[in-house]
Amino acid sequence: MAAKKLRRAKLSPELCERLGRHQITTCQDFLCLSLLELMKVTGQSYSNVQKLLCKVSLACAPKMQTAYEMKVRRAVNPSSAFLSTSLHGLDKVLHGGVPCGSLTELTSPPGCGKTQFCIMMSVLATLPVSMGGLDGAVIYIDTESAFSAERLLEIAESRFPAYFDSEEKLFSMTRSIHLYRELTCGSVLKRIKSLEEEIISKKVKLIIIDSVASVVRKEFDPKLQGNLTERSNFLAKEASLLKYLAEEFSIPV
Amino acid sequence: GFQTVQELLDTGPCGLSTEVGISKEEALEVLQVVRQECPGEAPRDAGLSRRCTALELLEQEQAQGFIITFCSALDNILGGGVQLTKITEICGAPGVGKTQLCMQLAVDVQIPECFGGLAGEAVFIDTEGSFMVDRVADIATACVQHCQLIAEAHQEEDHLKALETFSLESILSHIYYFRCRDYIELLAQVYLLPDFLSEHSKVRLVVIDGIAFPFRHDFEDLSLRTRLLNGLAQQLIIMANDHKTAIVLTNQMTTRIGQSQSTLVPALGESWGHAATIRLIFHWDNNQRLATLYKSPSQKESTIPYDVTPHGFRDVQPPAVAQNPDGTEMNPRKRPRREEEK
Repeated sequence: MAAKKLRRAKLSPELCERLGRHQITTCQDFLCLSLLELMKVTGQSYSNVQKLLCKVSLACAPKMQTAYEMKVRRAVNPSSAFLSTSLHGLDKVLHGGVPCGSLTELTSPPGCGKTQFCIMMSVLATLPVSMGGLDGAVIYIDTESAFSAERLLEIAESRFPAYFDSEEKLFSMTRSIHLYRELTCGSVLKRIKSLEEEIISKKVKLIIIDSVASVVRKEFDPKLQGNLTERSNFLAKEASLLKYLAEEFSIPV
Repeated sequence: GFQTVQELLDTGPCGLSTEVGISKEEALEVLQVVRQECPGEAPRDAGLSRRCTALELLEQEQAQGFIITFCSALDNILGGGVQLTKITEICGAPGVGKTQLCMQLAVDVQIPECFGGLAGEAVFIDTEGSFMVDRVADIATACVQHCQLIAEAHQEEDHLKALETFSLESILSHIYYFRCRDYIELLAQVYLLPDFLSEHSKVRLVVIDGIAFPFRHDFEDLSLRTRLLNGLAQQLIIMANDHKTAIVLTNQMTTRIGQSQSTLVPALGESWGHAATIRLIFHWDNNQRLATLYKSPSQKESTIPYDVTPHGFRDVQPPAVAQNPDGTEMNPRKRPRREEEK
């Protein structure tokens, strides 16, 4: 949205050309300048610049919806609002399960079962909707190399023996879980940025990142100066990208 | 030696009196007569007529309403509730209840006047994506029930009439929600907000949940960030005054690394601290949530405990039967939500 070119924001071509000479081509550049700078660059009067600002803002601003519309939309398909974890107590407390469209964070001391939980959620997501799943593919970003395909099969077979009765069903389930091993912060970020197209093409319904902290702790030593800001920058960027993916596609992350 | 009227007017009364040798009051009279003769002179303070006497301001402030928070202790330390025409900033660690309070306020601003509310509408600008419609529905239902109890106790006609329009659907449809993904969308939305407020003149509350989030990453140029934030703050103040709305912002906390220890301070730096008129800091103390009034022009600093219940933001109740939900991992930092006895 921010990188929208000014041409597409319905500004006149001469104005765009004039702004282009000052290296202002996107809405982001335009909105970051103060009013005085805008007046100087466009050569227009104060009120005209105000009107231009409104026009550019209209191109970038989010759409308005009332809370009621949101509620109605959620009520229309309630089953798609949550991914049940198949643990009744947890589902009750979470009001239905892992919510779709937002980030859920799982933390614990080592050895408690986070990776096992993630593997189980991947199995659940591939199940058809009638069984409480999302009937879609899963993207699993593994930073600790802890994912074991054998364990995946074991869980699937023992949990849902009636469903996974044939080898073929097992294979189709494993085919829909896409595993990416990323070992550095930079590659994790690059992977997340490339996920948008993959989600659409592979019909992904769940993204799992196991784990966020391990790459960050490996690379950023908090005792070194300046690393804290870089680390929080990286994490915040990652978080906003993931939130965008979760909301845009209404999938749990 | 004055040739034109413009020269006369440019000199001003003091200069005129010294040059011509008349008293200052006479000089002022002369200038006023001259000004009246020339209607072409654009009046100097056109558009700047925001002067008024302190008495007028006092009357305005006393007639002004507050947005109650349903937590009487918090309303007390704020002097009645969240004030209109002022910017209130809520800072706190994650999970302490900032978004809960914002959702509560978005519902409370719509309480009809006969129940002590403002009968206004709310704009909710969300940058973090933490607005849960189901939670707002719960809070709104609890608020409507509360008003119904009052109406039953008092049995007045205007109460009952107001209750007909004060329902869950009407509350939800008067919360205008915008989801801003980055700081450019937020800036654009704030530029467009005055027009929106003029169209929807009943809006009395603008909530920006997470003003810090879009500005804390992706910014190499800190001076640009400060400039944008200052511009944002100015626009919000103008908006609050012109349209008589309360503006509530939530801010994150950041760690300031000192000599020997590190403290939690509100994010976005020192210069942002001047933007908000009233600052509330939410924090934990051994499983109890506390709210501290950190900065206010009219109230003194104090700290009160508050609670987040299934019905919303409330006072701390005397210990009820605490039922621990089964199966959750007890995070020692978080306190379980107490089930209220119905």
